Amino acid sequence: MVVPEYVAILDPFAQEAQEIVRRSPQLDAMPPEVIERAINRVKWKSPKEMVVDLSASAIQAEVWSFYMMCQATAAVSFPYSREARLVTDATKETIKYRMYDLFKLGHEDLCLDVVKRSFKFVRLERNDGIRLGDIEIPRADYFKLRDRQLADAGIKEKEIDDRMLPQYVPKYAMRWGNLAPLLRHRLAELTKLYIVDGWAVITPHELWDFFANFIGVKTEDYITSLYERFSDTGAPEKLLNIGERISALIPPEAELRERFMRVPRGRLRPEFFPPCVKKALGGVGAGARNYAITVLLTSFLSYARVSPSGKAVTRMADFIDEISVVREEIAPLIFEAAERCNPPFFRDQPQEKASIFYHLGFGMTTEPRLEDSGRSKWYRVPNCRKIQLAAPPLCEQDELCRNVKSPLTYYHRRFVGQSSLGVGE
Amino acid sequence: MQMREATPEERKRFYAEEWSKRDLPDFILHTISLREFGFDYGEGPSHRYNQFMTVEQLASFLCNKAPYAAYASIALYEQPSMRKGWLKSELVFDVDAKDLPLKSCSCSGGVVCEKCLDEARRIAAMFAETLRSDLNLHNIHFVYSGRGFHVRATDDVVMAMEQTERTQIVEYVTGGVIPADITIALGYSRVFRERVARTFEHLGEEKLLKIRGMRKALAQQLIKEKEKIIAAVRRGSLREIEDFEGMGEKTFQQLLEFLTRLNMELTDGKVTTDTKRILRLPSSLHSGVSMKCILVRDIERFSIEDAIPKFMREGA
Repeated sequence: MVVPEYVAILDPFAQEAQEIVRRSPQLDAMPPEVIERAINRVKWKSPKEMVVDLSASAIQAEVWSFYMMCQATAAVSFPYSREARLVTDATKETIKYRMYDLFKLGHEDLCLDVVKRSFKFVRLERNDGIRLGDIEIPRADYFKLRDRQLADAGIKEKEIDDRMLPQYVPKYAMRWGNLAPLLRHRLAELTKLYIVDGWAVITPHELWDFFANFIGVKTEDYITSLYERFSDTGAPEKLLNIGERISALIPPEAELRERFMRVPRGRLRPEFFPPCVKKALGGVGAGARNYAITVLLTSFLSYARVSPSGKAVTRMADFIDEISVVREEIAPLIFEAAERCNPPFFRDQPQEKASIFYHLGFGMTTEPRLEDSGRSKWYRVPNCRKIQLAAPPLCEQDELCRNVKSPLTYYHRRFVGQSSLGVGE
Repeated sequence: MQMREATPEERKRFYAEEWSKRDLPDFILHTISLREFGFDYGEGPSHRYNQFMTVEQLASFLCNKAPYAAYASIALYEQPSMRKGWLKSELVFDVDAKDLPLKSCSCSGGVVCEKCLDEARRIAAMFAETLRSDLNLHNIHFVYSGRGFHVRATDDVVMAMEQTERTQIVEYVTGGVIPADITIALGYSRVFRERVARTFEHLGEEKLLKIRGMRKALAQQLIKEKEKIIAAVRRGSLREIEDFEGMGEKTFQQLLEFLTRLNMELTDGKVTTDTKRILRLPSSLHSGVSMKCILVRDIERFSIEDAIPKFMREGA
């Protein structure tokens, strides 16, 4: 018999999982096997690794390790980083396999109960014909949808058997509006769905896919929220160590660049900068100059350009090979913005030039060298709340600002989509 | 149908004598304090960030200023006067008669006639039908905007959506993506077939010749056999078109992509995806053409007569 807590292995954000998290020990007292599981789960390949047995202790270890994996990842990377992709992709694969496995073992109802919490769906009725409420689904459509699913999965006719076929046959209908989080990330395509009267007709295989992708999106959002929290408070040493071990499991970059690199390191993209950074770059008045230049721009531009990940962030030299990144790319932007201030920042406070490099971690100098990296602390980007408190004129929120808590998250999110303002006739 | 620019006196008269708060649609009236208003005093809609707490405030403003044009946001905000605290946005389609990709009239530039306005009306109705039948939206409003129509959906399910979802809805509703299987009876394949058939119906030889690889003889043949082709498209039997003499696989693909691009031009996709857009305020005067921007309760029975302001009737 399946215990009620078992839903947590399909949805780590379900109430049952939250209860298990509440019972978790302090980080230092976390059992070593949970820590190992948190690290190893990003490379799970075999069913044996992904499936969780029915015991309370196994479910508990599964949930704790999931949360530890997310927290450790957020401690050493940033939203949309390769680490975040690795974790979300692994999570999706795991959830999808578990759904498949439970269906296979006859626990379809358990899976549907979990899915039902996030998606409104019904089963197609099969009597004389195939019906969705008052609407009859043409028999020819039904078979065409099945054949398309098989073709998309790359299954050839001779490979089809009785166990495989039911996965690819339309069986449910889901409210298309529930798929909004997946449409937003292009994890579902409206024009590829068979939508009738507001219902998207889907196969069990699509149901697993959609649900697994949905949990993937939630996992990514959770890592983003943790990143924002850590950018404020810093992450515990133990999480940093676990995060570095997860990061070391990323496949070689050259091989999987396409798969993981959604936010490229490299050239800065000013069109994706948040309003506060744009404002600071344009120069500000005497009251907010120091904060805008020394605190916000210095940290934002350096973290956005260098995108540190995979290691506990202490020195820039761990992530760049050339000091020209600092001298020729980051510093000029900061100095130009300082010149645009009213009055120009460095004219009456020339000592602040050295302060810029101090905040970048090179100590008090105006001539930074790579080997000086780590002489002082590389200051993290302040979160939105701190900016609002310290320099209110800088904060002119736009729509996206509402959904993020850090300027750097804003920058990373804008790679996914950007907004515009306009007037319609 | 006479269209000309309104004089400042006519604008004043319109807002003093004819404008009524009863002409504001309920979906705006009930959310008035949450919307950003924008005004044009003759140099474009540059006066933005306005908020009205009551309809009386708006009425008094319009009466006093008699703007060249008035706009309201499709978005609702916590602080409309700062455009902050976005809550949600209507899903809108802007079908502008002057920008239709294919016209059966000779209007050009910013000019529109009853014929192209009627084409825009039909497209707006067609979009709304897909929103109703496929996407199950029920709160759909039509607005005659002066040179075209706005379709505005206020169903909760779409109002919370962001840009990418809206982009996908535009693709679906316009028939902007070639489906994997065009023969499927219901769902998106049906929408695509209908849109392609309609676009092909309006296509002339001259347009067809813009397709790469399209020879004149083939274009002439396609136009000559238009009825047959449209019937084949509606049946999902594209093979019949591909089999036309001189067509070839590549040219056929180019033709299909060309038709799909024209489908996408039926509406301005930027308007639909922009969740902070301001649109001409229903009930206001479009001074460029001296027409009232009005809520259309029955799109099938729309009459341009209802949009003519008094000063134009009397002038005529």
